Amino acid sequence: MTTDHAIPAEDLAIDVRDLTVAYREKPVLWDVDLQIPDGVLMAIVGPNGAGKTTFIKSVLGLNTPAAGSVLVHGKPYQKNRSQVAYVPQRGSVDWDFPTNVLDVVTMGVYGTIGWFRRPGAAPKAQAIKALAEVGMESLADRQISELSGGQQQRVFLARALVQDADIYLMDEPFQGVDATTERAIVELLRALRERGKTVVVVHHDLQTVPEYFDHVLLLNVRRIAAGPVEDVFTEENLRATYGGRVAFVSALMARKGE
Amino acid sequence: MDILTELFTDYTLRTVALGAALLGISAGALGCFALLRRQSLLGDAISHAALPGIALAFLLTGSKSSLVLILGAGAVGWFGSVLIAALTRRTPITYDTALGILLSVFFGVGLVMLTFIQRMPDANQAGLDSFLFGQAAALMQRDIYVILAIGSVILLLTVAFWKEFKLISFDPDMAETLGLPVRALEHLLTGLFVAAIVIGLQTVGVVLMSALIVAPAAAARQWTNRLGVMVLLAAVFGAVSGVSGAVSSSMAPNLPTGPVIVVVVSMIVGASLLFAPNRGFVFRKIREWKSGRALRVDAVLVDLYTLASQHASADYPHSEQVLNVMSSMSGTAKRTLHLLKTLELAQPIDDQRWSLTPAGEERARRVIEEHYGGGA
Amino acid sequence: MALVGCSSPQESERGQISPDNPLRVVATTSLVADLVSQIGGAFVDVEGLMGPGVDPHLYKASEGDVSLMTRADLIFYNGMHLEGKMVDIFEQMHSRGAEVHAVTAGVEESELIASDQFTGSLDPHIWFDPVLWKRAAVMVGETLAGTDSLHAEYYRNEAARFGGELDSLFAWAAGEMASIPEGNRVLITSHDAFGYFGRAFDMEVRGLQGISTALEAGTADVSDLAEFVASSRIPAMFVESSISPRGIEAVREAVRARGFDVQIGGTLYGDALGSSGTAEASYVGMFRSNVATIVSGLSANVQ
Repeated sequence: MTTDHAIPAEDLAIDVRDLTVAYREKPVLWDVDLQIPDGVLMAIVGPNGAGKTTFIKSVLGLNTPAAGSVLVHGKPYQKNRSQVAYVPQRGSVDWDFPTNVLDVVTMGVYGTIGWFRRPGAAPKAQAIKALAEVGMESLADRQISELSGGQQQRVFLARALVQDADIYLMDEPFQGVDATTERAIVELLRALRERGKTVVVVHHDLQTVPEYFDHVLLLNVRRIAAGPVEDVFTEENLRATYGGRVAFVSALMARKGE
Repeated sequence: MDILTELFTDYTLRTVALGAALLGISAGALGCFALLRRQSLLGDAISHAALPGIALAFLLTGSKSSLVLILGAGAVGWFGSVLIAALTRRTPITYDTALGILLSVFFGVGLVMLTFIQRMPDANQAGLDSFLFGQAAALMQRDIYVILAIGSVILLLTVAFWKEFKLISFDPDMAETLGLPVRALEHLLTGLFVAAIVIGLQTVGVVLMSALIVAPAAAARQWTNRLGVMVLLAAVFGAVSGVSGAVSSSMAPNLPTGPVIVVVVSMIVGASLLFAPNRGFVFRKIREWKSGRALRVDAVLVDLYTLASQHASADYPHSEQVLNVMSSMSGTAKRTLHLLKTLELAQPIDDQRWSLTPAGEERARRVIEEHYGGGA
Repeated sequence: MALVGCSSPQESERGQISPDNPLRVVATTSLVADLVSQIGGAFVDVEGLMGPGVDPHLYKASEGDVSLMTRADLIFYNGMHLEGKMVDIFEQMHSRGAEVHAVTAGVEESELIASDQFTGSLDPHIWFDPVLWKRAAVMVGETLAGTDSLHAEYYRNEAARFGGELDSLFAWAAGEMASIPEGNRVLITSHDAFGYFGRAFDMEVRGLQGISTALEAGTADVSDLAEFVASSRIPAMFVESSISPRGIEAVREAVRARGFDVQIGGTLYGDALGSSGTAEASYVGMFRSNVATIVSGLSANVQ
């Protein structure tokens, strides 16, 4: 999947052109081009500080690019909000907040409830359904401060699922979860793809990229390479992305060959 | 009770208690959101920033009416909060640095202005510095109307925007992706904050106001895990502090009301931090101690069982010294053995040796299974 | 009358004091400033630190004030902790050899009123008894004479003249004050500044705050005072120019809630004189104004 301008913007889940984001005059993302078609399960990988979270946030309109554009199904995010759901990093909230699991998931539909109204039976039912999809419905009343890391991640996932979006953007959902939860998340991602959704995931573990994802973006401030995993996830590209950490990359390639 | 009837019959006590209670309710409720957003000290900064606002209002209008001074305090306090947000957003300055700068600079300017007013030839400027520590005893009915009006607006808006305030306190990024006008909501919340603070300036003054914002909320957090209950509880704590302060101050001459209110709310926070179930310090220590004890009990039981398993029967006795050697825990097994005796899980055979009781054996078996798995 | 032979060391440096080269004097309160001006006349240039309406109990000296005092020939203050926050500065100035004088030093201990709130503490508001203020005038005259011996006679004469004015003032005031009916002879003010006045003119006095405004009035203070006013049916209370009126206003509301309509009889000049340019900018003018206000306020129909 190279920069292919032949596909019309509306059929692209996400269309990024010349995206440059700077933080205090230092570039965090530089001149990134990327077209993500519908229905892929894509990983974004890169070293620390590569701009992966910034990239996700640019799609969501959470920062102001210095240059370039990001379109979601042909329109800026603000016009197509209902089509995108966001799963932020677990560490981005304080889990000691006084609220329970059901409440957090219900927050996902606050956008539809409108001002001055309480969440009624319908949003709550949607939330329970989403919790069931991640296997957490029995913990609906649990205080979020009592959850394990894996449970916290599932709550965030349920909160995204309840929005019934077409595109899911996730930031390191596998970070610090137990093996069972990791398997469950992978199952969920695949199920989403079956349903025709597009899933873009910032991923920290290179070893599992070929196993979990069909597309990948290699990012280090600039776009190094992007496309189907079997085409793009090469030793050369990895070295270009991660710098000369030869041993680590070679080991990875050896594994891939298994 | 004598003092209770006085609360309703004595005009001054009634008025001061009512004003202080209303203040405690608004400050307590809003303080919860400040606490959860890690902005507890914002209350302190805004209170101190209000001082030049009071001076400015007097300089511009020549009036010392409550309403005028409250508006002045509110306007400059609000401006201060906007400045903090701008500083944090646009410069490398961190939030608490911005708070510190704003607090000291504005307060200093306020003091200079008050001194300047003091020197003015016009003999009408007396009494502005009563805003430093408040003059609760001088609350009058007309002040209560103003406080009631502002307080009602605060509570109304808090209820109306409840879910939005909850969301922007928990996950502002999420709120933004959902399309909520996060910036505007934050301004609204800060505005309510400023309003609660300026109500309190007459009662407890600039210097002490921050205590009423932070303390009731911090105390309430200790007792509940539900936001609604927390806000309610904080309001109650605030009201109780206000009324207690007024009542205490009325029982003895020369007891200033504002500081007494702050003393009461501090006691409430102290008690909550120590004694609240689950989160309180005392309870956590007890839980830790209990679980440490359970660990030691299980460890010695397992040791006894393991030792005995190398002999014919499970109740084969072993001496305390052997147990000490086996144990990886610090200290001797002596106390734990006596505890086991009390729990009837082990018994002394003679003055040196101990063996498992059937119950002890049962429990040891269970522990081993739980911790070391059913098969090797 | 022979010229006094010796001159003080200061004088020889300063040169001869005259209206073109007056003594530089710093005074704290407007009352002290007025006193010194009356007695020193053209030979003194008095700089007052606290303007009209300034509360001396809370006043903190600024850098500007300190440098003024350093360059002054004489510093006069009330004393007895009236200028509560400046005590350290006076001590500092004194230890540097400056001429720092408390005008209350001229008053005998036996004539002072002890405060019933603080043991060992004395009420500093002596100027409300013209008899005692006369003593302060004499003291100021003597101090000026000691510093500027050339005009010693002048100062002493002025002190005596002013003393005479105070005597007539006292007589006039006594006559006025006597007209207040027996049941109304209670003076209620913002703080306990009028103890000496009450003693001199046979009035009971009660202040909301104590002898220092640094103490905040508590709910009990407001309530107790209101109870007293209502039950004694005092027709008027008075606010003070240098203190926020809110305290007394709160007392009035509390009294009204008890069913008695007490008035605020007017503004008294408590710890400071009135605005410059008005009659109340001088001691005599201020005193007359106070007496008139009090008499008219308390001469209402006896209940």
